[in-house]
Amino acid sequence: MRPAGLNPRLYAFLLDWVVRLAVIYGVAVVAEFLGGLGTAVWLILIFLLEWFYPVAFELLPSGATPGKRVFGLKVVMDNGLPVTVAASVTRNLLRFADFLPFMYGFAIVTMLTRRDCKRLGDVAAATLVVHDSRATGRPPLQDVAPLPPVRPLTPSTQAALVALAVRAPRLTAERLDELAAMAAAVSNDAGRSGRDVTLRVLGVGHWILGRRP
Amino acid sequence: MQIDTLAVRLRPRSPLEAADLGVRLCQDAARSVYPCFAAVALPVFLLAMASVEIAQWLPTVVVWWLKPWLDRTILFVLSRAAFGQPTTLAQLWRAQGEVWWRRLWLSLSVRRLSAWRSLTDPVYQLEGLSLGLTAARVRQIRHRHVWSAMLMTQTFMLTEAALLVSLLSLLFWLAPAGQTPSVDMLLGGQSPWLAIHGIPIAYMAAVFFVEPFFVAAGFAMYLNRRAELEAWDIEQEFRRAFPR
Repeated sequence: MRPAGLNPRLYAFLLDWVVRLAVIYGVAVVAEFLGGLGTAVWLILIFLLEWFYPVAFELLPSGATPGKRVFGLKVVMDNGLPVTVAASVTRNLLRFADFLPFMYGFAIVTMLTRRDCKRLGDVAAATLVVHDSRATGRPPLQDVAPLPPVRPLTPSTQAALVALAVRAPRLTAERLDELAAMAAAVSNDAGRSGRDVTLRVLGVGHWILGRRP
Repeated sequence: MQIDTLAVRLRPRSPLEAADLGVRLCQDAARSVYPCFAAVALPVFLLAMASVEIAQWLPTVVVWWLKPWLDRTILFVLSRAAFGQPTTLAQLWRAQGEVWWRRLWLSLSVRRLSAWRSLTDPVYQLEGLSLGLTAARVRQIRHRHVWSAMLMTQTFMLTEAALLVSLLSLLFWLAPAGQTPSVDMLLGGQSPWLAIHGIPIAYMAAVFFVEPFFVAAGFAMYLNRRAELEAWDIEQEFRRAFPR
């Protein structure tokens, strides 16, 4: 899990605030025509939005308010499980404590000084706001002949070889050759470098991705 | 650059996630960052407070204007912390020529109003390029990062403002019962205490707390951008998996 800090969370918060404000103003325009009843409904709506807008969205499968979704965040329990009703209500009611002494002073200080970037509401509810890892689209691959590795590789080394194959077009040729030379052992080229070695190392990356000759 | 001695575990990150990494870096290096920062910031703050004799608004403006100079010390400490090295005041003093005075006039004039200052400062301060090469290098580093760097700068501006208001609100929270000061009394009247002392002191306290995080966030965005350009994360893994 990758805890999310002040930067993305501030903008997620501001975006949600703008959404709430837009709804409140939109309803106010309609409520004006309905007289006293309209005003009553409008006031109840403000109360519900202020306290339960985040709860309602956090309990959806995405675990995120619209603002959090835009910035790729979600709310989870400390152990990574989906957030529970009690925890979501707790962390959102305690936003009041984070607002103290004024303008979110406590929230700022705790989020900047805690290693897990929690505000007080998160501490009380044992929740965590994390960067949501989403699969990105299939990146375009260069045309390189796949080649089986000559030695067993750990998962992290396999991931690095795949990353090299995927990011090769965005690196300079010199840097690509330099990196490939470091991993030349995978194609039995240890100690050698050059364009041919690079193509063979990239070929191993393509092999790990499942391509076969 | 000795990638394998880097104390930061690299992987592809979005720019704003890199800013979070910077906050973590600053937390871990706090024991080096805050003493060194205090050594340069406190004299500046004292000098700035003295300027209140000239005009009420001057202390705040002086501190705001000199921030790039204060940031240089923070960035120096952080750039060493990224390689796991602590920094003492003596080491800072020995490096003063490079850290404090090199092209200071540029930092305090044309670069002062940059909206992505903490992202590009590492290029100016750490890469040591000639002025001609610097411009091209800065364009490369901030390519497609301008928007996120501006958001990040804005975050810390808002944070600073919120903390300023938060600190001033303590006046009202902690005042003895029945003697809660009114805002008018503090801002105007015979002795506008709030305008002369309250706002500058609260501003400096907020700057002192927030500025290291702002510099660290920009520095981490810079590291992230270089890691992306030069595939440092892949090098880190290859050096670990295929030792020479």
